[in-house]
Amino acid sequence: MFPITSRCLPVLVVMALFSPARAVAQPAPPANTCLTCHAALTDTRLATPARLFSGTDVHRERGFACIDCHGGDPAAGDKARAHDAARGFKGAPSGQAQIATCARCHSDATLMRRFAPKQRVDQAAEYATSVHGKQLAAGHRDVATCASCHGPHGIRLVSDAKSPVFPTNVAATCATCHADPRHMAEYKLANGTAIPTTQFADYQKSVHYAALTKGNDLSAPTCNDCHGNHGATPPGVGAVANVCGTCHAVFATKFQMSVHSQIFDKGCVECHSNHAVLKPSDDMLGSSGSAVCAACHGGADDKGALAADRMRSGIEGLKAGINRSGALIAKVRDAGIEVSDQELALVEVRSRLTLARTEMHTGNPEGVEAILGEGTTILAGIDRAGQAGVVELRFRRRGLAISLGAILLLVVALWLKVRQLDRRSHR
Amino acid sequence: MALQQIVDWLDERIDLSGIRHFIAEKGVPIHTQEVWYYLGGMTMFLFAVQVFTGILLLLYYRPSAAEAYESVQFIVTQVEFGWLIRNVHSWSANLLIALAFAHFFSVFFLKSYRKPRELTWLTGIVLLFLMLGFGFSGYLLPWNELSFFATKVGTGIAGAVPVVGPFTLRLLRGGDDVTGATLSRFYGLHVAILPAITTALVVAHLLLVQRQGMSVPLSIEHRRKAGEPLPQMPFFPNYILRDVLAWYVVLALVAALAAFYPWELGKKADPFAVVPPGIRPEWYFLAMFHTLKLVPSHVLGFEGERLGVVAFGLIAVFLVLVPFLDRRASRGERSPVFTVLAALGLVYLIVFTIIGHYAK
Amino acid sequence: MLRTMSNQNRVPTMAGAAPAEFNRRVFLDALLAVGFVSTAVAIAYPVTRFMIPPASGEPATASAGAGRAATLKPNSARIFKFGSRPGIVVRTADGDVRAFSAVCTHLECTVQFKLDTAQLWCACHNGTYDLGGNVVSGPPPRALEQFVVNLRGEPGDEEIVVSRS
Repeated sequence: MFPITSRCLPVLVVMALFSPARAVAQPAPPANTCLTCHAALTDTRLATPARLFSGTDVHRERGFACIDCHGGDPAAGDKARAHDAARGFKGAPSGQAQIATCARCHSDATLMRRFAPKQRVDQAAEYATSVHGKQLAAGHRDVATCASCHGPHGIRLVSDAKSPVFPTNVAATCATCHADPRHMAEYKLANGTAIPTTQFADYQKSVHYAALTKGNDLSAPTCNDCHGNHGATPPGVGAVANVCGTCHAVFATKFQMSVHSQIFDKGCVECHSNHAVLKPSDDMLGSSGSAVCAACHGGADDKGALAADRMRSGIEGLKAGINRSGALIAKVRDAGIEVSDQELALVEVRSRLTLARTEMHTGNPEGVEAILGEGTTILAGIDRAGQAGVVELRFRRRGLAISLGAILLLVVALWLKVRQLDRRSHR
Repeated sequence: MALQQIVDWLDERIDLSGIRHFIAEKGVPIHTQEVWYYLGGMTMFLFAVQVFTGILLLLYYRPSAAEAYESVQFIVTQVEFGWLIRNVHSWSANLLIALAFAHFFSVFFLKSYRKPRELTWLTGIVLLFLMLGFGFSGYLLPWNELSFFATKVGTGIAGAVPVVGPFTLRLLRGGDDVTGATLSRFYGLHVAILPAITTALVVAHLLLVQRQGMSVPLSIEHRRKAGEPLPQMPFFPNYILRDVLAWYVVLALVAALAAFYPWELGKKADPFAVVPPGIRPEWYFLAMFHTLKLVPSHVLGFEGERLGVVAFGLIAVFLVLVPFLDRRASRGERSPVFTVLAALGLVYLIVFTIIGHYAK
Repeated sequence: MLRTMSNQNRVPTMAGAAPAEFNRRVFLDALLAVGFVSTAVAIAYPVTRFMIPPASGEPATASAGAGRAATLKPNSARIFKFGSRPGIVVRTADGDVRAFSAVCTHLECTVQFKLDTAQLWCACHNGTYDLGGNVVSGPPPRALEQFVVNLRGEPGDEEIVVSRS
C-alpha cells in the first residue's frame, strides 16, 4: 500500500463510491491522479485546467491525458512523485516550448492521419512566418501562441460554436490582446509608431461583422480571413486587392484595370478602409463634399476629379430617372393600367445601376456611361408606356364626364319635377 | 298605363291596399330644418352602393395572404372597369362613414332620439359602430403594407381593453399575430357577418322611421301655435324624388372622386418588414388613435393606453344610453346640456382628426 | 308617382293654362325618363363589362406561361415574365425542366444561364447558383426561389406552365 496524502484520500474514497459504471466494451481508463488532485485544489489557477480538461476537450475525448503535454506520473498519489522531472514532468510550457509541445503531434502527418486525416500539419511552420512567431523568436514573451487562441485546456474543435476560434468568436479572441493598449504598448510598427488598438471596434462597425453575426453568414470575413490563421500578418503592399478579391472578385478585376491599382499602396483599403468597412454609397464618388476621391482629386483641371464627377452625375441621373419612371408607372398602375412589362423593365434598369457601380472601379467614365446608356434606353421605353397610360386615363375621364353629364341631366330633371309636384300639391 | 295594369294584377293577388294607403297618406313635415332629413337616406344609398360594388368585387377577389394583393391588382389593371368598381367601393366607403357621422350628429343636435324614438337611436348607434367595423375589416382586404400594419396597431389597441382584451385580440386576429388567418376572418366579417347584422338593423331602423314618421325638432315644435299642424308634403312622390335627387348627387360625387383621385394599392404586405414610420389608421379612427398616443404611459398607476381604451368604451356606452339619460328632451323640453355635449364631441373629433393627420 | 299621375289624368283641363302646363309636364316627364335611362346605361355598361371575364384569366403571379416545351433544348434556358418579375426556365442536360425566379437574391440583378458550367450566374457580382437554385459561390445570401413546372397541352406541343406552388 503506497502512502496517500491526507488531501487525496477523501477525494479518492468519494470517487470510488460515486464513480459511474463504464460501458463494458471499453478498457478501464488509465489512472489519472493529475485530474483528481488538481480538481480538489482551492487555487483556481491550478484547479481550472483540470475542470476544463474534464469537460468538453477534443484531446481528452480522443484518449489523450495530461501527461501527453505536461509529462509526469499519472499513477502517483503524491505531488512530488507526480511532478517528478525524471518522469518527464515539464510544468506548464510557454513560449517556444509551448509551440513545440503542440507541434510534436500537430506537425506529425503520420500521427494526425490517425485522428483527422484532412487536417493540415504545417501550422507551426506557418506560425514561424507570422508576426507573432517572429516576435516570439525575437524574445518577446507576451505574444500569442497556440494556447492563446485555442485555449490550453477544454480545447474545442474549430467547428464548435463555443470555440474561441469559431468564426463568430475570432475577432473577440484577437481583441483580447489587440484591443488592449497596455498589452500592445511594447510593440511598434516597422516605422516606429505604436500599433493601433482600434481594429476590433472598427470591425464591429463593418458590414462584414454584421453579415457574420446578424446575417448568419459564416463565410463573411473576420480577422483570420484577411490576415491568415497561423501565419497572421497584415497583407502587404500589392496584396490587399488580391485578399479582398478572394470574395469580391468582380471588383478586384475591375480595379486591376484602373490606374489606381498601380498607385495605391493599400489597394481597396485606400477608399473602403481595412477594418471599418462600411456599406458603400454613391456619395463616396465625386470630387467634393464627403466623396473619397476628393482626398486626392480636386480642382477644375484635375482629370481624376472630372472623371469622378462624370461618373457620379451619370449614376445620379439614372437614379433620378428610375425614381421618375417608377413614380409614373405606379401612378398609372394605381389608376388601373396594366404595367407589369414596365415593372419588369424597371428591374432591368436597376441592375444596370448595380453594374455601373461595379464598372466605376475601373476609373473609366466611358465604360460606366455605356452601361448607364443602356439603362436610359430602357427607361425611355418605360416612359413611353407610362405616357400612353396617362393618355388612357384622360380617355377614361372623358368617359366619366359623359356619365356625369347624364347624371346632371337627371338631377336637373328631378329638381324641376319636384318643383312641379310641389306646385301641384299646394294647389 | 302598362304600369297600372301590372299593379292591378298584383293587387288582385296580394292586396296592395295597405301599401296604397301608406303611399297616399304618408307625409313629411315641411320646415326650415328639413334638409337634415336627407342624410339618413344618403347613408343608406351609399350602403347599397357598397353592397353592389362589393358583390362585384367578390367575383374576382381572393381572400388569402398569397393572393389577395395580386387579385386586387388584377381587378384594377386587368378587369374591364375594375379600377372604377374598386375606386367607387373605396371612396364610397369613406363617404358612407362621413355621412353616417353627419347623420348621427344631426340627430344628436336635433334631439330626434327623444321619446318615442329611443329604439331608432339604439339601432342607429349600433349601425354606426357596424359601419366602423366594415371600414376596419375592409381596409385589411387588399393586404398591402399600410393596411397590414394599421390592422396590427388597431387590433393591438383592442387588446388593451382590460379583462377581455387579450381574448378579443386573439379572436380578431385569428391567432397571436396578424396573418392569413386574420385576413380570412376579416373577410368573413366583412362580406357575411357584418352585412347580415346590418341588413337586419337597417330594416328595423327603416321600419321604425316609417312607422313613427319624421321627428320634428323641438324648436320648430315650440314655435308653432298649439294644435296647428305643420304643413306636410306627400312622402310619395315629393319627398322620395328629393331623396333620389340627393342620392344621384352623391353618386356623381363618388364617380368623380373615383376617376380623379384613384386609390393607391401600395406594396404587398410583408409580415417581416419593419413597421413603416408614421403608420396610422384611416381618418375615421384618427381622432381616437391620436388621443391614445397622447395619453401618458402611466396615469395614477394604470397603464395609459388601457385607461384611454376604457374611456372610449365608456363614451360608447354613454352614447347608446343618451335617449334614456336625456330626461328633459324626453319631456319635450330644451336640453342645453346635451347640445353642449354634442358640440364638444363634434369639435373634439374634428380637431383631433386634423391634429392626427398633421402629426409626425 | 302612380297615384298622382292617375289623379292628374282625371283632372279636368282648366281654361287657358292647361295645354301649356300639360306640354311642360310631358316634356319634364320625358326628360326624367331620358335621364333615368341614360344613368342606368351609364351604370349598367361598366358593370356588365366588369363581369365578363378578362382575357388574362386570373392573377398572373399565381402562374405564368413560359413558352413551348419543344423550343427549350437540353442544356439551355430562357427568361420569361412571372407577374412583374423575371423568371428563368431551364432544361438540364438530362431533359429535366425546372423554373426559378431570375431575381438574384443579392441585389436583384437578373441571373442568366452559363453554358460552359451549366450553372445560373449573375453578372453583377459573380453570384453563382447550381441547377437546384442553391448558392454555389459569391455574395447571394439565399437560394433562388424555385417554382413548380407543369406541361400542359397536346403531347409533342406542350406549353410550359410555371406556378408558385
